[in-house]
Amino acid sequence: MRGNDKVDAPVFRRPSSLPDKRGYFGEFGGRYVSESLIEALYELETAFRLAWKDKSFHREMEEVYRDYVGRPTPLYCATALSDKVGGARIYLKREDLNHTGAHKINNTVGQALLARRMGKKRLIAETGAGQHGVATATVAARYGFECDVYMGSEDVRRQSLNVFRMNLLGTTVRPVDQGTRTLKDAISEALRDWSQSVMTTHYVLGTAFGPHPFPLMVRSFQSVIGREARKQILAKEGRLPDALVACVGGGSNAMGLFYPFLSDLDCALYGVEAGGRSLNPGEHAARFQTGKVGVLQGSRTYVLQDRDGQIEKTHSVSAGLDYSAVGPELAYYHDTGRIAFSSVGDEEAMEAFEMLCRSEGILPALESAHAIAWTIRLARQLGPSRVVVANLSGRGDKDVMEVARIKGVTFS
Amino acid sequence: MNRKSSKRVFSGKKVIPYLMAGDPDLETTRKLLKAARSEGVWAVELGVPFSDPTADGPVIQEAARRSLAPSTTLRNLLSWLEGVPSDERPPVYLMTYFNLFLSIGLDQFVALAQRAGGIRGAVIPDLSFEDAGFVRRIFHAGGMSLIPFVAPTTSDGRMKRIVARSEDFIYLVSLLGTTGKELSETGTVSRLVSRIRLLTDSPVCVGFGIQSPDVASKVLGVADGVIVGSRLVREETDPDRWQSLLAAFCDAARSAPSLTTAGV
Repeated sequence: MRGNDKVDAPVFRRPSSLPDKRGYFGEFGGRYVSESLIEALYELETAFRLAWKDKSFHREMEEVYRDYVGRPTPLYCATALSDKVGGARIYLKREDLNHTGAHKINNTVGQALLARRMGKKRLIAETGAGQHGVATATVAARYGFECDVYMGSEDVRRQSLNVFRMNLLGTTVRPVDQGTRTLKDAISEALRDWSQSVMTTHYVLGTAFGPHPFPLMVRSFQSVIGREARKQILAKEGRLPDALVACVGGGSNAMGLFYPFLSDLDCALYGVEAGGRSLNPGEHAARFQTGKVGVLQGSRTYVLQDRDGQIEKTHSVSAGLDYSAVGPELAYYHDTGRIAFSSVGDEEAMEAFEMLCRSEGILPALESAHAIAWTIRLARQLGPSRVVVANLSGRGDKDVMEVARIKGVTFS
Repeated sequence: MNRKSSKRVFSGKKVIPYLMAGDPDLETTRKLLKAARSEGVWAVELGVPFSDPTADGPVIQEAARRSLAPSTTLRNLLSWLEGVPSDERPPVYLMTYFNLFLSIGLDQFVALAQRAGGIRGAVIPDLSFEDAGFVRRIFHAGGMSLIPFVAPTTSDGRMKRIVARSEDFIYLVSLLGTTGKELSETGTVSRLVSRIRLLTDSPVCVGFGIQSPDVASKVLGVADGVIVGSRLVREETDPDRWQSLLAAFCDAARSAPSLTTAGV
């Protein structure tokens, strides 16, 4: 298998030329938020573009990445897993070894440094499982920001440990009792807060989603993953991988890994969505399987919705993939065929979770377990002498209680 | 209720009540429309419930939830409006989030709105001026208005571009935040209105924060109209109370000093 099935599909533009001035990747993206926020988005875009061109900003960020976050993260050749699967050589990009346990901190460090340059005093964020909330609370503590994190009350209940962790870091967690009481509602509430506090507050959006310039900004901060992986695989294998795999919630770990490989058309790119219990409405978060183009929370993209345009509920065993819309840049590469998308259900993700635990002694986040599951399928299909890189976007410590619950284990 | 008030002129001041369609049912909505008509309001903003209303505060979110239960869809609502005689309702601006319009398809929406009659345009809080180009074109071709927003944060440069398009009125967001907050001082509104007046003759209607007839009256001292949302939505399950409160807002409008720029 070389490249992607649909690489010859329409317009493939130079990745760095996107988004365009209006914040669109093809027909996806935009700034679909209320007028009160628009000027703040322009201000943020200007500040980001200036910072991104500024060597001293990068120097500081690299220093923080190295000494505080623990970058570069290893690219690990998972020989035991590869042997067990019996196919291509599987490499894992170890984002789970980052400070706070996931790739999320790459973005929060970047945005915190930016917010400081902009003179903002307060950070707000949304969180689902709590990983992005913890990563935001961490940089808020480190750089002295006041911080509020919005979290659906259902997620607060499921992830009480992460709530306490954020409290320890000095952040106030604000439970959101609206709608489905999950990530989607936390984002709405964060947007509401921001529309009021926009003069003093920076909204640290956690994924490559939302109104422009967030998808651009988050992808840029996360692309350190792919830049490192590219160098590392060239050093280890003397060539680029045949395929790269990442799970897709909003899309930050996927865009982060894929972005530096987009122009390498011989590298197939696979995004893995949450297949949940089934592909029936409300039982999954596979936007590219059953979603249609719409607008949600700032972005025009694929959205799970009913025929009247109301947003559908979602389900996944992993809270980080449990969201009704997907990043606009991924939507664009879906339509151009550059990235192939598939979905992995709860059960298969759980099997992959256990397989990685037992074979490699690595406990992946349930989100990342979706990528591992697809990697296993792909490695078998590709056969030996091929090379696959999977993004191990986070560690699974946060999921231990949930896994125990699913397995019917109770603790006294 | 004082029925004689129905034809009285408002010294050019516009009162635009916002109501959530289908809260708690369409029968009530029909009563409210009729009441609004008899109070002589200039137009109504008719909200359509959306599952994820990012610009709305708790009161309107709650109303949307009550209304969503029996599934008040944009399509159903348009065909329902067709059955409400035009002398039983004021002119209507539909107010909801962009995904609902996209879901029907914009051309189809305009066609259905024309068939229903009396729908002057739409207010779409999550459709930014920059993203609205093609929507405006389709609306204008169908003789409908896409109401532009100006907020306290809007820069001069953008304000100029936003108000350059002539629409039925300009929706001035009086304060930062979501619907349902109280406007405590009118200084900012007054400055914003002056800035807009330098750029256009279009009427300026102020929404967000109009929590009492008293606030309305102060705002109408400088603006051409008020949009009253959450305060009325709180009463909309009781049409009689809703109407007497609306009447108080209308009285405030009638006693507001007339402005030279005002039109009806």
